[in-house]
Amino acid sequence: MSYPLTATPATAIEADETVSLWSDAWARLTANKLAVIGLVIIALLIVVAIVGPWITPYDFLDQDLAARNQTPSFAHWLGTDDLGRDLLSRVIYGARTALFVSIVVTTLAVSIGVTLGALAGYLGGPIDAFVMWMTDMAMSVPNLLLVVVINTSLKPPLAAWMDAKYLETMNPFYRNTVWIDFILVFGSMSLIMWPPYARLVRAQVLSIRSRNYVTAARALGLPTRSILMRYIVPNALGPVIVAVSAGLGTAMVLESAFSFLGVGVRPPLPSWGNMISDGLRVWRTYPHLLAAPAAVLGIATIAFSFLGDGLNDALNPKGRK
Amino acid sequence: MLRYILRRVLFWIPSVLLILLGVYALAFYGAGDPIKLIFMRAPGDVAYDPARIEAIREQAGLNAPFIEQFGRYIWNLLHGNWGNSLVNGRPVWRTISAAAPVSMQLGLTAIIITALIGVPLGVIAALRQNSGADYAILGSALFLWSIPPYVAGPLLMVLLILVVPASGVPYGWGGVFDLRIILPLIVLSMQPIALIVRQTRTAVIEVLSEDFIRTARAKGVPELVVAMKHVMRPVLTPVVTQLGLIMITLINGAIFVELVFGLPGLGRLTVQSTLDNDYPVILAITLIGATLVMLSNLLVDLVYPLLDPRAGQMKGGR
Repeated sequence: MSYPLTATPATAIEADETVSLWSDAWARLTANKLAVIGLVIIALLIVVAIVGPWITPYDFLDQDLAARNQTPSFAHWLGTDDLGRDLLSRVIYGARTALFVSIVVTTLAVSIGVTLGALAGYLGGPIDAFVMWMTDMAMSVPNLLLVVVINTSLKPPLAAWMDAKYLETMNPFYRNTVWIDFILVFGSMSLIMWPPYARLVRAQVLSIRSRNYVTAARALGLPTRSILMRYIVPNALGPVIVAVSAGLGTAMVLESAFSFLGVGVRPPLPSWGNMISDGLRVWRTYPHLLAAPAAVLGIATIAFSFLGDGLNDALNPKGRK
Repeated sequence: MLRYILRRVLFWIPSVLLILLGVYALAFYGAGDPIKLIFMRAPGDVAYDPARIEAIREQAGLNAPFIEQFGRYIWNLLHGNWGNSLVNGRPVWRTISAAAPVSMQLGLTAIIITALIGVPLGVIAALRQNSGADYAILGSALFLWSIPPYVAGPLLMVLLILVVPASGVPYGWGGVFDLRIILPLIVLSMQPIALIVRQTRTAVIEVLSEDFIRTARAKGVPELVVAMKHVMRPVLTPVVTQLGLIMITLINGAIFVELVFGLPGLGRLTVQSTLDNDYPVILAITLIGATLVMLSNLLVDLVYPLLDPRAGQMKGGR
């Protein structure tokens, strides 16, 4: 996928060399200091999340009741919480939760958004009107409120269903209620995150739809599905990549927001959000319990923002000021 | 103009109905029987008598089909009856009208602060484009934008109360002129300010390259007058169009800020009522939230033609 850029980039690049969009974008991205900082922090976060179980000094569930509420020390780098659990280990496991949720949710939201947006843009007519009406509606409701309501009210029936299934099959899978939390969090978060992607893709498709190669494909009698999959969607993905990097950050914030409110991933599974809300109860006596997860979450979201901003500048040369 | 407003409102009604229908369905099928919920909360000596519950259900009309109950809810709503809370039995309207002023004062003050700080900073950044000041403003805007309120609030409290003892514990509500309001306001305004700074900067840069600015400068109009007179008006347009987004940011932010700082507003009521499965209250809050966002979007569309005469009056576009 290499085509000449429509706007000459301000950074000096030899004019007679053909530079692909991606290597050009990479050069521009790495020239942006903030974006590089963001990239490094995110890379670090991913590594820590992957190797987490092997590097945590303690298990995140290990309670040492003799060492409760300790301040940072050599044995416990970030101290311990009110049950004597090692805070550093919990923060590291929190990174796993945060990344897992944000990757799954962003994937779901992008798939829904790209599919609906492409269909709406390509088919037009009533389908377009309907999809746009749905995005309008989803974007004009205070989204957090809706998700909190969905999560709290769907949990009891789902849990009851799992219980019934367990009694019926005696399959231990149905006893693990962690899955309910994850399913609800995934579902409700994708529900509020897909509309921006749909709008973005629709706008892209609208401009691509009238290009000659699409007309040619249609004249050849290709079915709608393969025109969409082979010609339109791949060419509309550029801005989506920027949106995905921003979306990962948004999803991470939302995940912690839900656990902070007590409707997301529930204890004992560590999530930065529920660690902050736990820490908030004792912040005057043990501020480190609050400060550590809050600082880590803050740094992570800032890193995603910096990277997203850099990617935006790098991939949309025209939009740069 | 009037026809346009009417059309917008008519378009909005089915959306809100659908949202209310969704929440009502969640309450109906998800949370279970409200009477049982009330009994579960009642003190231990209240006997759980199925016959009595059945009688109450019948009397309250809870045995009617879903669509009839929903219809009755909407009918009551239209007559100003918001129902009663499942938790304390008080009319929802009274609960709401006790909490709403707190959030409204908080939100309005935050909007004023946002405009007073955000717009000038954005203009400065644009006038000094690509200078150190510009990068500093843009960088801090990005920084502020990415910190969620439930991170900023607690961290600021630890910093300002424990590390640098600069403030007392800001817990509780004493009106907008109470000193305890400062920290919550800072936290609540952070993200909207960042949004406005970036919007304003982009808009000013765009306007500065327009012909009428060049003409004004060529005529020898002083730079300050150019900035105040010719730049400000067109700049306000894109800023005002962000009102809907700002409203959503504020509503989301208020939930956390009120929780962290213990303010008795709608945000805290939201969380409390969801955790209690108090659906009449949840429905009312949903309705208020959706109305606020709709009204700000409508306001944008109405003000837009006034600020930018080039925009067709009936387009309502952004």
